[in-house]
Amino acid sequence: MANVVDVQGVRKVYNRDSLEIVVLDGITLLVPEGEFVALMGPSGSGKTTLLNLIAGIDRPTSGRVTVAGTDVARLSESALARWRSRTVGFIFQFYNLIPVLTALENVQLPLLLAPLSRKERRERALTALRIVGLEDRSAHYPRQLSGGQEQRVAIARAIVADPKVLVADEPTGDLDARSAEEILTLMETLNRDFKKTIVMVTHDPRAAQRAHAQKHLDKGVLTA
Amino acid sequence: MRHLPYILKHLRRNWVRTGSTVLAMSVCIFLFCTLQTFVRAVTWNLQSASATRLVTRHAVSLVFNMPIAYKERIAAVPGVVRVAKVNWFGGTRRPNDFTEFFPNFAVEAEPYLEIHPEFIVPEDQKKAFLADQRGCLVGRRTIDRFGWKIGGTFQLESFIPPYRVGKPFDFVIDGIFDTDLARYPGTDTSMMFFHYKYLYEMTNQRVGVGTYVVEIGDPHQATAVGRAIDALFENSDAQTKTETEAAFRAGFVSLAGNLAFLLNSIALAVTFTILLVTANTMSMAVRERRTEIAVLKTVGFPSGLVMGLILGESAALGALGGGSGLLFGWGLIRMLPSLPFIGEAVRGFPELGLSPAIGGLGFALALGLGLGAGLIPALLAYRARITDMLRQA
Ligand SMILES: Nc1ncnc2c1ncn2[C@@H]1O[C@H](COP(=O)(O)OP(=O)(O)OP(=O)(O)O)[C@@H](O)[C@H]1O
Ligand SMILES: [Mg+2]
Repeated sequence: MANVVDVQGVRKVYNRDSLEIVVLDGITLLVPEGEFVALMGPSGSGKTTLLNLIAGIDRPTSGRVTVAGTDVARLSESALARWRSRTVGFIFQFYNLIPVLTALENVQLPLLLAPLSRKERRERALTALRIVGLEDRSAHYPRQLSGGQEQRVAIARAIVADPKVLVADEPTGDLDARSAEEILTLMETLNRDFKKTIVMVTHDPRAAQRAHAQKHLDKGVLTA
Repeated sequence: MRHLPYILKHLRRNWVRTGSTVLAMSVCIFLFCTLQTFVRAVTWNLQSASATRLVTRHAVSLVFNMPIAYKERIAAVPGVVRVAKVNWFGGTRRPNDFTEFFPNFAVEAEPYLEIHPEFIVPEDQKKAFLADQRGCLVGRRTIDRFGWKIGGTFQLESFIPPYRVGKPFDFVIDGIFDTDLARYPGTDTSMMFFHYKYLYEMTNQRVGVGTYVVEIGDPHQATAVGRAIDALFENSDAQTKTETEAAFRAGFVSLAGNLAFLLNSIALAVTFTILLVTANTMSMAVRERRTEIAVLKTVGFPSGLVMGLILGESAALGALGGGSGLLFGWGLIRMLPSLPFIGEAVRGFPELGLSPAIGGLGFALALGLGLGAGLIPALLAYRARITDMLRQA
């Protein structure tokens, strides 16, 4: 199987007050299609930084990031934005739903960029909400939902444009055990039944257990 | 257009902020429109100044009169076609009560009417007026204002000391003059004219001449003829100052012009304040929404679109503020004449009302303010990097 995510010798360096901070120091990571990978490591080890590179919202200082066959660094800003809307779904720790929009409108957001009619957008968004089990909450605003429900709406938003890759940054980090459990089950379903390749950052060993593979990041270097 | 609901939802969600910003904007646009309308009304009359007319007056001040004998000497200057004596009478219907004021002048009727073709009087009325020592011509606006008729009489008493003779002047309305605004734009028909002779007799032949209106053959010679006239009286007690009618009137208006400048400065200051207020509103809105902007960009919204959404939101604030400001201004300008005190001052203006040009300008100003206020936040959002915004949230 081809590698959907292909990270080769990536370095990420920040310059702060003429001080070089090496956040990622020569990372190589291959994620085959259909894989579910958990990325672990202590705080500040560079997990979010690596995830952002894979999601195409950041660029490496050196090295190459290829996702779904595209060398991310070669795309212009606007081409990269278009590419993201079709290729990756991003799931945040704090859901990041837009408070003034309903669940349905939040889910529709990525589709506003696609050449779809109103009706098609609505139908696709409702389908995504059905997959996460919240079709009956489509008219609710984020503040009317529980944390677990908000995260499920956020997941619906991540999958609505049918991307190949899902990246999740501590998706259960802000949830109680039961809600976390639901989210993890949902992610498993997406991986198994919908063939999504998933890269998930987590601190929680039990969450990491649900993935097929675990990678450890420490001081900018992958250890296992 | 598919993004419009998104913009409106934001405005509705923060309705207190939206409301107060719109209100501030609306006051600003209202002020702008009312002041502009006022300034325009004050300067409107300038348009009617003719290029072939000069006005000669006492060099020191309009308060002083010139000798009657100047007329023949001015008439003899090459380039001069006609000369008419004109004295501003300053009469009121009741002593020192200006509430029912209209401009009134003692004029040398025959040349005056020749020089001013914009005052259109039926031939028979003109004849009657010329033959009647106490006769007068009254403009249509004043006729309509008081419901006067031809043959009617009224009295005026001047507040100017030399013209106060211990009793009011009696007048008979011999004619009504109209104008043709298409041919003579800016012509005021609120004036009243009577015979200089009458003033002269009533004051025991003691008054001089306030101004000489001089018709010239060639408008290009205006400066030269004016200089020639003033040169005639250079060595006499009463030196003269001759200028074009436009310049002469602008002198009157410049007082109003200074007021207009002051009012415009206030409007400008208010506009600038509103720009700051709105810019503050917008940058608060954007700062609060850092994560949201990061999300929009993450799901693939191009930076240009994100910028457009913010500009759209601030332009919408401008449009709402401008629209309500116009409505407010339109209503108030219509009400103005019926207000006590202000109404009296304002009623004398021809053409009072919110013109489409000023209204359009006001609305454009509101839109511009909105866009201007949103520009910097929008640019910041355009340039902001997703990772930084997520980290700082
Ligand atoms: N824009 C930046 N400028 C300077 N340093 C940065 C910047 N972004 C990240 N860093 C640094 O990079 C390091 C790794 O950050 P990162 O967010 O990737 O860690 P993480 O593994 O996700 O940590 P956590 O588990 O706390 O989320 C940190 O030391 C952080 O301070
Ligand atoms: Mg992190």
